[in-house]
Amino acid sequence: METRREALKIIGAVGVTCAFPFSANQLYGQLAHQHQQSPPDAVIEEVPYKPIFFTPTQFQLVSRLADLIIPTTDTPGAVGAGVPSYIDLIVSADPKLRSLFEKGLQRLDVYSGSTFLQLTEAQQVDILTAFSNFLPTFSNAASTSIDKSIEYNDGLFFRAIKNLTADGYYTSRVGLLQELGYNGNSVLAAFPTSTIPEH
Amino acid sequence: MENKVFDICIVGSGAGGGTLAGHLAQKGVDVAVVEGGPPVNTRTDFNTHALPFDYKNRHIPTMKPGKAGFDSERTRGVGGKTMLWNAVSLRLSHRDFKGYSADGAGADWPIDYPDLAPYYDQIEREVGVCGNRDGLEDLPDGAFMPPPPLKLGDLLLQRSAKQLSIPIIHTRKATLTRATRMRPACHYCGNCMAGCDVAAKYNSADVHLAPAMNTGHLTVFANSIVREVIVSDENRATGVRYLDRITRQEGEIRARCVAVACACVQSVGLLLMSRSRLYPTGLANSSGQLGRHYIPHFNSGVEGFLTELINRPVVNDEGFVDHAYLPSFMHARKRDYARSFGIQIYTGISRTTGWAREVPGFGVAYKRTVKQRFPAYVSFQCFGEMIPNGESFILLDETQKDTYGLYKVNAKAVQQENERRIYDDMNKTAVEILRNAGGEVLSVSNFEEPVFNHQLGGCRMGSDPRSSVVNAFCRTHDVPNLYVVDGSVFPSASEKNPTLTIMALAARTADHIGDRFKKVEI
Repeated sequence: METRREALKIIGAVGVTCAFPFSANQLYGQLAHQHQQSPPDAVIEEVPYKPIFFTPTQFQLVSRLADLIIPTTDTPGAVGAGVPSYIDLIVSADPKLRSLFEKGLQRLDVYSGSTFLQLTEAQQVDILTAFSNFLPTFSNAASTSIDKSIEYNDGLFFRAIKNLTADGYYTSRVGLLQELGYNGNSVLAAFPTSTIPEH
Repeated sequence: MENKVFDICIVGSGAGGGTLAGHLAQKGVDVAVVEGGPPVNTRTDFNTHALPFDYKNRHIPTMKPGKAGFDSERTRGVGGKTMLWNAVSLRLSHRDFKGYSADGAGADWPIDYPDLAPYYDQIEREVGVCGNRDGLEDLPDGAFMPPPPLKLGDLLLQRSAKQLSIPIIHTRKATLTRATRMRPACHYCGNCMAGCDVAAKYNSADVHLAPAMNTGHLTVFANSIVREVIVSDENRATGVRYLDRITRQEGEIRARCVAVACACVQSVGLLLMSRSRLYPTGLANSSGQLGRHYIPHFNSGVEGFLTELINRPVVNDEGFVDHAYLPSFMHARKRDYARSFGIQIYTGISRTTGWAREVPGFGVAYKRTVKQRFPAYVSFQCFGEMIPNGESFILLDETQKDTYGLYKVNAKAVQQENERRIYDDMNKTAVEILRNAGGEVLSVSNFEEPVFNHQLGGCRMGSDPRSSVVNAFCRTHDVPNLYVVDGSVFPSASEKNPTLTIMALAARTADHIGDRFKKVEI
């Protein structure tokens, strides 16, 4: 968990004032666009989506990574939920994320020996697993100053794209309603009484 | 209007200003409320029922398109922060008022629980507070509506805590669970802090200001940013100077009495900016205490999952956000720190699931893990009381001005050793309860990354003019017709959410000011 705090600090996403300062309210998009008055978007998915920040190749790579993180199962995965365009929007607005992504995406190809996108799914998963293991624990980072290393940045990149994928997916119509089955935001005449079930 | 002299000019329209204005207007006192933000219609202007996917960046704006208000960090808008609060309403206890006497740290209030109890009664009846009568020494009961039932997750945590001899009770909120003559009951849409579109949750504009308008004794100057409280050479507050937010024109409102109630940090900022021949370092600052003793709550948090609820069918139990509360119980325990803490407990489903980031791994297994845990999520939001210290204060930054030409106001809070001990204990308590309930811990917050909430202190209330700014009736020691009515007057914060106490103080101050008008003292 210290790992997470560290990652957040570097990406700059801490510090929200609300009744629940630690919980689900911290999303990149909310922080990056706090005071924007965007009107409701009638159509989230523009087809074909033209990335604001990523090159077409980078966007393909981001889409592949997002789908590896949240794949299609009995519900659509990250790409089916429009997550790559969300990632593009948020990354485009944040200089730190822009540089983290540019470097991170390059490193994936370095690891692949050629092009990440041309690897088999198993090979892609292996590389992503390595990236996900690079982020050291806070105590390690303090004792070995490993945080300066390239691998540490790879770890940060993985955290960033995972966080953005999770945020984007679980706030999408597909993720929130279809996958999680969220059924709130309705009008209840009374709040239902619960009892602890007998075992 | 230009030449009118009001009986009182109140700066700010939230819990403090709104309550004070409402009560005084009902007594026949001629009130001007000056509010920096626009009027807001709770029925039509808030985005209460929007969901994140309605927006590309997934951020739901507070206001509907084309509606003004609440667009800055100062929460400007008629109704102030009561529009967007979570409505937790707790009475302070004798121990909270006399913390210094109890454990030698911080400062006592010059008043005690019996002084405020009748005003708590009055406010709870006016605004409608739901809660259970728990008979706790540290959290006095009030005139409550029935609380909504606890969620299943709350019950599991309550059972676990009971085994550890720790109380978990129904939270107490200024949200109606039964319709009144004026307002409908809560419909549990789960988005209280987006602004309640039916005013089931208390806000000062609908509950205190609107009825006061009908008395003919209340005038609200919206979009009017006060930049100075004017004080005469005879040491009388004579009114305020303001800037029209839209036209940027200066204006003046004259009154026989002035109350500053624009939320802790901004109130202190306004007084610091109101310099004059008599008060070269800030109005009512002859003691040099203005801005000192800043004591916001410090927060910690623990997140996790209740094993018994993992993979259960999703039920709509978002409710009115948090339904359960862990009240201060520390007085009965041996401990190595002064003061105490309380914990807001949130269980049930939610429209935002930022915790999904922390679930380890990726791929099909990750996706399944998140889905299974969606109905099982638990969050403990802990509030600790800060002891005043020399490093925590409110100060003007005279190198920076905002778009209205006002100095930036900085509030700096520093946690010290006592705060560290409370912090550790509140997280330890939350983890213990969760583990004992058979839960999984997902994340625990870190003391080195402080989070503060509920701005308090800066205009300390006290009986000694050398060590405090206002007296027991929120009147400044320096200027006999100047009042400060908000969280800035708290000499010690307690761990409890402050709004109900701010409203009770405003009601008490209204009685006091009303009496002074009757006796022709003002």
